[in-house]
Amino acid sequence: MSNHRRFENTADHREISALIPWYVNDTLDERERARVDAHMGECVSCRADLSVNQRIFDGIAARPTLDYMPMASLKRLRARLDAAQRQISPASIVPAPLKHDESPWRGWIAASIAAMTVAVALLAADRWVQFEARSSQANYRTVTSSVPRPAGEVIRAVFSPTITLDQLQALLDEAQLKIVSGPTEAGVYSLASNSRLTVRSSLALLRRHSTVRFAEATSEPDSGNTP
Amino acid sequence: MTPLAKNSPKERDGALLVAVAAGDRHALEELYLGYHRRLARFLSRFTPRYENVEEIINDTFMVVWQNAKDFRSASQVSTWIIGIAYRTALKSFRRQKNHAGAQSLEDYPEQTVDPTVEAEVSDWLTHGLRLLPMEQRLTLELAYNMGHSLEEIAAITECPVGTVKARMFHAREKLRQYLPNLGGTPSDMPARLG
Repeated sequence: MSNHRRFENTADHREISALIPWYVNDTLDERERARVDAHMGECVSCRADLSVNQRIFDGIAARPTLDYMPMASLKRLRARLDAAQRQISPASIVPAPLKHDESPWRGWIAASIAAMTVAVALLAADRWVQFEARSSQANYRTVTSSVPRPAGEVIRAVFSPTITLDQLQALLDEAQLKIVSGPTEAGVYSLASNSRLTVRSSLALLRRHSTVRFAEATSEPDSGNTP
Repeated sequence: MTPLAKNSPKERDGALLVAVAAGDRHALEELYLGYHRRLARFLSRFTPRYENVEEIINDTFMVVWQNAKDFRSASQVSTWIIGIAYRTALKSFRRQKNHAGAQSLEDYPEQTVDPTVEAEVSDWLTHGLRLLPMEQRLTLELAYNMGHSLEEIAAITECPVGTVKARMFHAREKLRQYLPNLGGTPSDMPARLG
Protein backbone atom coordinates (compact mmCIF):
# COMPACT_ATOMS: atom_id res chain seq x y z
CA MET A 1 0.00 0.00 0.00
CA SER A 2 1.43 3.39 -0.95
CA ASN A 3 2.08 6.14 1.60
CA HIS A 4 -0.87 8.32 0.68
CA ARG A 5 -3.26 5.35 0.73
CA ARG A 6 -2.03 4.41 4.20
CA PHE A 7 -2.65 7.94 5.54
CA GLU A 8 -5.99 8.43 3.77
CA ASN A 9 -7.49 5.60 5.78
CA THR A 10 -6.74 7.17 9.15
CA ALA A 11 -9.06 9.35 11.20
CA ASP A 12 -6.17 11.76 11.66
CA HIS A 13 -5.88 12.20 7.90
CA ARG A 14 -9.57 12.98 7.54
CA GLU A 15 -9.43 15.49 10.39
CA ILE A 16 -6.36 17.22 8.99
CA SER A 17 -7.78 17.27 5.48
CA ALA A 18 -10.89 19.08 6.77
CA LEU A 19 -8.70 21.75 8.39
CA ILE A 20 -6.74 22.60 5.23
CA PRO A 21 -8.87 25.65 4.25
CA TRP A 22 -8.20 27.24 7.65
CA TYR A 23 -4.53 26.29 7.46
CA VAL A 24 -4.48 28.19 4.16
CA ASN A 25 -6.28 31.27 5.54
CA ASP A 26 -4.03 31.20 8.63
CA THR A 27 -6.74 31.08 11.29
CA LEU A 28 -5.80 27.78 13.01
CA ASP A 29 -4.45 27.95 16.53
CA GLU A 30 -0.84 26.96 17.13
CA ARG A 31 -1.61 23.41 18.22
CA GLU A 32 -3.76 22.66 15.17
CA ARG A 33 -1.25 24.30 12.84
CA ALA A 34 1.53 22.12 14.27
CA ARG A 35 -0.63 19.01 13.70
CA VAL A 36 -1.23 19.96 10.08
CA ASP A 37 2.47 20.73 9.56
CA ALA A 38 3.47 17.32 10.93
CA HIS A 39 0.91 15.52 8.77
CA MET A 40 1.91 17.39 5.61
CA GLY A 41 5.44 16.02 5.95
CA GLU A 42 4.06 12.49 5.63
CA CYS A 43 0.97 12.67 3.39
CA VAL A 44 1.29 13.19 -0.38
CA SER A 45 -2.47 13.43 -0.81
CA CYS A 46 -2.81 16.28 1.72
CA ARG A 47 0.10 18.15 0.15
CA ALA A 48 -1.68 17.98 -3.21
CA ASP A 49 -4.90 19.11 -1.52
CA LEU A 50 -3.05 21.99 0.11
CA SER A 51 -1.68 23.04 -3.27
CA VAL A 52 -5.20 23.07 -4.76
CA ASN A 53 -6.59 25.09 -1.88
CA GLN A 54 -3.72 27.54 -1.91
CA ARG A 55 -4.43 28.24 -5.59
CA ILE A 56 -8.15 28.67 -4.94
CA PHE A 57 -7.35 31.04 -2.06
CA ASP A 58 -4.86 33.02 -4.20
CA GLY A 59 -7.35 33.11 -7.07
CA ILE A 60 -10.12 34.46 -4.82
CA ALA A 61 -7.80 37.06 -3.29
CA ALA A 62 -6.62 38.17 -6.74
CA ARG A 63 -10.11 38.87 -8.11
CA PRO A 64 -10.64 42.59 -8.71
CA THR A 65 -12.88 44.32 -6.20
CA LEU A 66 -14.95 47.47 -6.48
CA ASP A 67 -15.22 49.90 -3.62
CA TYR A 68 -18.59 51.52 -3.27
CA MET A 69 -19.30 54.84 -1.64
CA PRO A 70 -21.47 54.20 1.40
CA MET A 71 -22.98 57.68 1.89
CA ALA A 72 -25.78 57.43 -0.67
CA SER A 73 -26.72 53.99 0.71
CA LEU A 74 -26.62 55.36 4.25
CA LYS A 75 -29.01 58.15 3.26
CA ARG A 76 -31.47 55.55 2.05
CA LEU A 77 -31.08 53.61 5.31
CA ARG A 78 -31.81 56.82 7.21
CA ALA A 79 -34.98 57.28 5.18
CA ARG A 80 -36.07 53.72 6.04
CA LEU A 81 -35.34 54.28 9.73
CA ASP A 82 -37.32 57.52 9.66
CA ALA A 83 -40.24 55.75 8.00
CA ALA A 84 -40.08 52.90 10.54
CA GLN A 85 -39.90 55.35 13.43
CA ARG A 86 -42.95 57.26 12.17
CA GLN A 87 -44.95 54.04 12.39
CA ILE A 88 -44.07 53.59 16.06
CA SER A 89 -45.80 55.65 18.69
CA PRO A 90 -43.38 57.86 20.61
CA ALA A 91 -44.05 56.04 23.87
CA SER A 92 -43.01 52.69 22.46
CA ILE A 93 -39.53 53.74 21.31
CA VAL A 94 -38.20 53.40 24.85
CA PRO A 95 -35.43 50.81 24.44
CA ALA A 96 -35.47 47.59 26.42
CA PRO A 97 -32.57 47.08 28.83
CA LEU A 98 -29.55 45.14 27.58
CA LYS A 99 -29.70 41.49 28.57
CA HIS A 100 -26.00 40.68 28.65
CA ASP A 101 -25.29 42.53 31.86
CA GLU A 102 -27.29 40.85 34.60
CA SER A 103 -27.09 40.30 38.41
CA PRO A 104 -25.51 41.19 40.86
CA TRP A 105 -26.06 44.73 39.58
CA ARG A 106 -29.82 44.52 39.27
CA GLY A 107 -30.45 47.36 41.72
CA TRP A 108 -28.12 49.69 39.88
CA ILE A 109 -29.48 48.58 36.54
CA ALA A 110 -33.03 49.18 37.68
CA ALA A 111 -32.07 52.67 38.82
CA SER A 112 -30.19 53.31 35.57
CA ILE A 113 -33.12 52.08 33.53
CA ALA A 114 -35.47 54.33 35.43
CA ALA A 115 -33.18 57.31 34.79
CA MET A 116 -32.73 56.27 31.18
CA THR A 117 -36.47 55.89 30.72
CA VAL A 118 -37.00 59.45 31.90
CA ALA A 119 -34.22 60.66 29.60
CA VAL A 120 -35.57 58.72 26.65
CA ALA A 121 -39.09 59.94 27.34
CA LEU A 122 -37.77 63.50 27.22
CA LEU A 123 -35.87 62.67 24.04
CA ALA A 124 -38.97 61.07 22.55
CA ALA A 125 -41.00 64.14 23.40
CA ASP A 126 -38.34 66.32 21.77
CA ARG A 127 -38.29 64.12 18.68
CA TRP A 128 -42.07 64.20 18.55
CA VAL A 129 -41.98 67.97 18.52
CA GLN A 130 -39.35 67.88 15.77
CA PHE A 131 -41.38 65.32 13.85
CA GLU A 132 -44.47 67.46 14.09
CA ALA A 133 -42.48 70.40 12.80
CA ARG A 134 -41.13 68.32 9.91
CA SER A 135 -44.56 66.92 9.09
CA SER A 136 -45.84 70.37 8.36
CA GLN A 137 -43.25 70.71 5.57
CA ALA A 138 -43.17 68.93 2.24
CA ASN A 139 -41.29 65.64 2.69
CA TYR A 140 -39.84 65.61 -0.80
CA ARG A 141 -37.55 67.85 -2.76
CA THR A 142 -36.77 67.93 -6.44
CA VAL A 143 -33.19 68.00 -7.69
CA THR A 144 -33.54 71.56 -8.97
CA SER A 145 -35.84 72.91 -6.26
CA SER A 146 -34.97 76.19 -4.68
CA VAL A 147 -33.30 75.46 -1.35
CA PRO A 148 -30.44 77.21 0.41
CA ARG A 149 -27.40 76.46 -1.70
CA PRO A 150 -24.08 75.38 -0.27
CA ALA A 151 -21.43 78.10 -0.64
CA GLY A 152 -19.83 78.09 -4.08
CA GLU A 153 -22.22 75.54 -5.60
CA VAL A 154 -22.33 75.88 -9.40
CA ILE A 155 -23.42 72.41 -10.49
CA ARG A 156 -25.62 69.66 -9.09
CA ALA A 157 -24.87 66.13 -10.22
CA VAL A 158 -25.93 62.54 -9.63
CA PHE A 159 -23.42 59.75 -10.21
CA SER A 160 -23.91 56.07 -10.86
CA PRO A 161 -24.07 54.15 -7.56
CA THR A 162 -21.30 51.87 -8.84
CA ILE A 163 -18.81 54.68 -9.37
CA THR A 164 -15.65 54.14 -7.31
CA LEU A 165 -13.96 56.82 -5.21
CA ASP A 166 -10.99 56.86 -7.59
CA GLN A 167 -13.25 57.28 -10.62
CA LEU A 168 -15.18 60.08 -8.94
CA GLN A 169 -12.01 61.89 -7.95
CA ALA A 170 -10.56 61.56 -11.47
CA LEU A 171 -13.81 62.86 -12.96
CA LEU A 172 -13.90 65.87 -10.62
CA ASP A 173 -10.23 66.63 -11.27
CA GLU A 174 -10.84 66.57 -14.99
CA ALA A 175 -13.86 68.89 -14.72
CA GLN A 176 -12.03 71.10 -12.20
CA LEU A 177 -14.77 70.68 -9.61
CA LYS A 178 -14.97 69.82 -5.93
CA ILE A 179 -17.77 68.48 -3.75
CA VAL A 180 -19.16 71.07 -1.36
CA SER A 181 -22.19 69.12 -0.17
CA GLY A 182 -24.09 65.86 -0.58
CA PRO A 183 -25.11 63.36 -1.44
CA THR A 184 -28.74 64.09 -0.58
CA GLU A 185 -31.26 61.28 -0.14
CA ALA A 186 -31.70 61.37 -3.90
CA GLY A 187 -27.92 61.00 -4.33
CA VAL A 188 -27.41 64.62 -5.48
CA TYR A 189 -23.98 66.21 -4.99
CA SER A 190 -23.36 69.97 -4.92
CA LEU A 191 -20.20 70.86 -6.80
CA ALA A 192 -18.13 74.04 -6.76
CA SER A 193 -15.57 75.14 -9.29
CA ASN A 194 -11.93 74.60 -8.53
CA SER A 195 -10.52 76.83 -11.28
CA ARG A 196 -11.30 79.48 -13.86
CA LEU A 197 -12.83 76.86 -16.14
CA THR A 198 -16.32 77.98 -17.14
CA VAL A 199 -19.33 76.18 -15.71
CA ARG A 200 -20.33 75.29 -19.26
CA SER A 201 -16.96 73.56 -19.85
CA SER A 202 -17.11 71.71 -16.56
CA LEU A 203 -20.64 70.56 -17.36
CA ALA A 204 -19.60 69.35 -20.80
CA LEU A 205 -16.71 67.40 -19.30
CA LEU A 206 -19.00 65.81 -16.71
CA ARG A 207 -21.66 64.86 -19.22
CA ARG A 208 -19.15 62.98 -21.37
CA HIS A 209 -18.97 60.26 -18.72
CA SER A 210 -21.44 57.42 -18.57
CA THR A 211 -21.11 57.35 -14.76
CA VAL A 212 -22.75 60.79 -14.57
CA ARG A 213 -26.48 60.22 -14.43
CA PHE A 214 -27.41 63.88 -14.18
CA ALA A 215 -25.57 67.20 -14.19
CA GLU A 216 -27.08 70.68 -14.28
CA ALA A 217 -25.79 74.17 -13.61
CA THR A 218 -27.43 75.96 -10.71
CA SER A 219 -26.78 79.37 -12.28
CA GLU A 220 -26.34 80.67 -15.83
CA PRO A 221 -23.86 78.18 -17.33
CA ASP A 222 -22.24 80.62 -19.75
CA SER A 223 -20.90 82.85 -17.03
CA GLY A 224 -17.32 82.40 -15.92
CA ASN A 225 -16.60 81.24 -12.38
CA THR A 226 -15.02 83.27 -9.76
CA PRO A 227 -11.95 81.46 -8.52
CA MET B 1 -12.83 61.60 16.87
CA THR B 2 -15.19 60.05 19.38
CA PRO B 3 -13.88 58.64 22.68
CA LEU B 4 -14.73 55.18 21.31
CA ALA B 5 -12.24 55.50 18.48
CA LYS B 6 -9.22 54.94 20.70
CA ASN B 7 -10.43 51.50 21.84
CA SER B 8 -9.78 48.25 19.98
CA PRO B 9 -12.18 47.52 17.09
CA LYS B 10 -13.85 44.81 19.19
CA GLU B 11 -14.40 47.14 22.17
CA ARG B 12 -15.48 49.98 19.92
CA ASP B 13 -18.04 47.75 18.13
CA GLY B 14 -19.35 46.55 21.50
CA ALA B 15 -19.73 50.07 22.82
CA LEU B 16 -21.41 51.21 19.61
CA LEU B 17 -23.88 48.34 19.76
CA VAL B 18 -24.79 49.17 23.36
CA ALA B 19 -25.47 52.72 22.18
CA VAL B 20 -27.54 51.39 19.26
CA ALA B 21 -29.58 49.30 21.72
CA ALA B 22 -30.29 52.53 23.60
CA GLY B 23 -31.63 54.11 20.42
CA ASP B 24 -28.56 56.07 19.27
CA ARG B 25 -28.83 56.57 15.50
CA HIS B 26 -25.33 58.08 15.25
CA ALA B 27 -23.86 54.90 16.73
CA LEU B 28 -25.76 52.85 14.15
CA GLU B 29 -24.38 55.04 11.36
CA GLU B 30 -20.84 54.67 12.70
CA LEU B 31 -21.26 50.89 12.72
CA TYR B 32 -22.74 51.04 9.21
CA LEU B 33 -19.79 53.00 7.83
CA GLY B 34 -17.38 50.64 9.58
CA TYR B 35 -18.90 47.55 7.97
CA HIS B 36 -20.15 48.82 4.60
CA ARG B 37 -16.91 48.34 2.66
CA ARG B 38 -16.31 44.85 4.04
CA LEU B 39 -19.88 43.67 3.42
CA ALA B 40 -20.09 45.31 -0.03
CA ARG B 41 -16.89 43.59 -1.15
CA PHE B 42 -18.16 40.25 0.12
CA LEU B 43 -21.67 40.55 -1.30
CA SER B 44 -20.56 41.89 -4.68
CA ARG B 45 -19.01 38.44 -5.26
CA PHE B 46 -22.53 37.05 -5.47
CA THR B 47 -24.42 39.70 -7.37
CA PRO B 48 -23.23 42.11 -10.01
CA ARG B 49 -25.91 44.67 -9.16
CA TYR B 50 -25.00 47.24 -6.53
CA GLU B 51 -28.70 47.81 -5.87
CA ASN B 52 -28.91 44.22 -4.55
CA VAL B 53 -25.78 44.66 -2.45
CA GLU B 54 -27.15 47.86 -0.94
CA GLU B 55 -30.52 46.26 -0.24
CA ILE B 56 -28.89 43.39 1.66
CA ILE B 57 -26.64 45.73 3.66
CA ASN B 58 -29.50 48.07 4.54
CA ASP B 59 -31.79 45.15 5.44
CA THR B 60 -28.99 43.88 7.67
CA PHE B 61 -28.68 47.19 9.52
CA MET B 62 -32.44 47.50 9.92
CA VAL B 63 -32.23 44.16 11.77
CA VAL B 64 -29.24 45.43 13.78
CA TRP B 65 -31.26 48.52 14.74
CA GLN B 66 -34.30 46.52 15.77
CA ASN B 67 -32.49 43.68 17.55
CA ALA B 68 -29.40 45.29 19.11
CA LYS B 69 -30.95 44.87 22.55
CA ASP B 70 -31.02 41.10 22.04
CA PHE B 71 -27.28 40.86 21.37
CA ARG B 72 -25.39 38.62 23.82
CA SER B 73 -21.81 39.53 24.60
CA ALA B 74 -20.88 35.85 24.33
CA SER B 75 -20.26 36.35 20.61
CA GLN B 76 -18.37 39.09 18.79
CA VAL B 77 -20.31 42.00 17.34
CA SER B 78 -18.66 41.43 13.95
CA THR B 79 -19.75 37.77 13.93
CA TRP B 80 -23.28 38.78 14.87
CA ILE B 81 -23.55 41.45 12.15
CA ILE B 82 -21.99 39.27 9.45
CA GLY B 83 -24.31 36.45 10.53
CA ILE B 84 -27.33 38.70 9.96
CA ALA B 85 -25.90 39.71 6.58
CA TYR B 86 -25.32 36.03 5.74
CA ARG B 87 -28.94 35.06 6.43
CA THR B 88 -30.29 38.14 4.65
CA ALA B 89 -28.08 37.41 1.63
CA LEU B 90 -29.05 33.75 1.57
CA LYS B 91 -32.75 34.66 1.42
CA SER B 92 -32.13 37.24 -1.28
CA PHE B 93 -29.99 34.94 -3.42
CA ARG B 94 -32.56 32.14 -3.12
CA ARG B 95 -35.23 34.52 -4.38
CA GLN B 96 -32.99 35.55 -7.28
CA LYS B 97 -32.18 31.93 -8.08
CA ASN B 98 -35.86 31.12 -8.32
CA HIS B 99 -36.11 33.83 -10.95
CA ALA B 100 -32.97 32.81 -12.82
CA GLY B 101 -33.57 29.05 -12.81
CA ALA B 102 -31.53 26.40 -11.06
CA GLN B 103 -27.94 25.86 -12.15
CA SER B 104 -25.25 24.07 -10.24
CA LEU B 105 -22.19 21.92 -10.72
CA GLU B 106 -24.43 18.87 -10.28
CA ASP B 107 -26.07 19.92 -13.54
CA TYR B 108 -22.70 19.46 -15.29
CA PRO B 109 -21.14 16.31 -13.77
CA GLU B 110 -18.78 15.73 -16.68
CA GLN B 111 -17.83 19.33 -17.28
CA THR B 112 -14.20 20.22 -16.70
CA VAL B 113 -11.90 22.82 -18.18
CA ASP B 114 -8.19 22.61 -18.75
CA PRO B 115 -6.54 25.97 -18.28
CA THR B 116 -3.20 26.34 -19.91
CA VAL B 117 -2.55 29.86 -18.72
CA GLU B 118 -3.01 31.55 -15.34
CA ALA B 119 -5.62 34.01 -16.60
CA GLU B 120 -7.88 31.10 -17.46
CA VAL B 121 -7.64 29.80 -13.89
CA SER B 122 -9.14 33.05 -12.69
CA ASP B 123 -11.97 32.80 -15.24
CA TRP B 124 -12.54 29.20 -14.29
CA LEU B 125 -12.61 30.04 -10.61
CA THR B 126 -15.17 32.79 -11.12
CA HIS B 127 -17.32 30.42 -13.17
CA GLY B 128 -16.83 27.43 -10.89
CA LEU B 129 -17.77 29.39 -7.76
CA ARG B 130 -21.00 30.58 -9.37
CA LEU B 131 -22.03 26.99 -9.97
CA LEU B 132 -21.60 25.84 -6.36
CA PRO B 133 -24.68 25.49 -4.13
CA MET B 134 -25.12 28.78 -2.29
CA GLU B 135 -24.34 27.50 1.24
CA GLN B 136 -21.10 25.91 0.03
CA ARG B 137 -20.07 29.01 -1.88
CA LEU B 138 -20.84 31.31 1.03
CA THR B 139 -18.82 29.07 3.35
CA LEU B 140 -15.86 29.09 0.97
CA GLU B 141 -16.03 32.86 0.50
CA LEU B 142 -16.32 33.44 4.26
CA ALA B 143 -13.06 31.51 4.69
CA TYR B 144 -11.10 32.59 1.61
CA ASN B 145 -12.47 36.05 0.92
CA MET B 146 -13.28 37.27 4.44
CA GLY B 147 -10.61 35.23 6.26
CA HIS B 148 -12.90 33.82 8.96
CA SER B 149 -11.91 30.91 11.19
CA LEU B 150 -13.84 27.65 11.30
CA GLU B 151 -15.48 28.61 14.61
CA GLU B 152 -16.44 32.07 13.36
CA ILE B 153 -18.08 30.60 10.26
CA ALA B 154 -20.00 28.17 12.49
CA ALA B 155 -21.24 31.15 14.55
CA ILE B 156 -22.06 33.26 11.48
CA THR B 157 -23.99 30.50 9.74
CA GLU B 158 -25.47 29.16 13.02
CA CYS B 159 -24.31 25.66 12.08
CA PRO B 160 -22.25 23.04 13.92
CA VAL B 161 -18.54 23.05 13.10
CA GLY B 162 -19.00 19.65 11.44
CA THR B 163 -21.53 21.10 8.99
CA VAL B 164 -19.13 23.90 8.06
CA LYS B 165 -16.36 21.37 7.44
CA ALA B 166 -18.70 19.23 5.34
CA ARG B 167 -19.83 22.20 3.23
CA MET B 168 -16.26 23.23 2.67
CA PHE B 169 -15.24 19.67 1.82
CA HIS B 170 -17.95 19.35 -0.84
CA ALA B 171 -17.14 22.79 -2.29
CA ARG B 172 -13.46 21.90 -2.57
CA GLU B 173 -14.18 18.51 -4.12
CA LYS B 174 -16.51 19.99 -6.73
CA LEU B 175 -14.05 22.70 -7.66
CA ARG B 176 -11.24 20.16 -7.87
CA GLN B 177 -13.26 17.89 -10.14
CA TYR B 178 -14.26 20.86 -12.25
CA LEU B 179 -10.62 21.61 -12.91
CA PRO B 180 -8.52 18.46 -12.36
CA ASN B 181 -5.18 20.10 -13.15
CA LEU B 182 -5.55 22.92 -10.65
CA GLY B 183 -3.36 21.29 -8.03
CA GLY B 184 -0.52 20.33 -10.38
CA THR B 185 0.02 17.18 -12.41
CA PRO B 186 -2.55 14.41 -12.20
CA SER B 187 0.08 12.12 -10.66
CA ASP B 188 -0.01 14.30 -7.55
CA MET B 189 -3.61 13.26 -6.90
CA PRO B 190 -4.07 9.67 -8.04
CA ALA B 191 -6.75 8.77 -5.51
CA ARG B 192 -8.99 11.75 -6.30
CA LEU B 193 -8.72 11.65 -10.05
CA GLY B 194 -8.69 7.95 -10.67
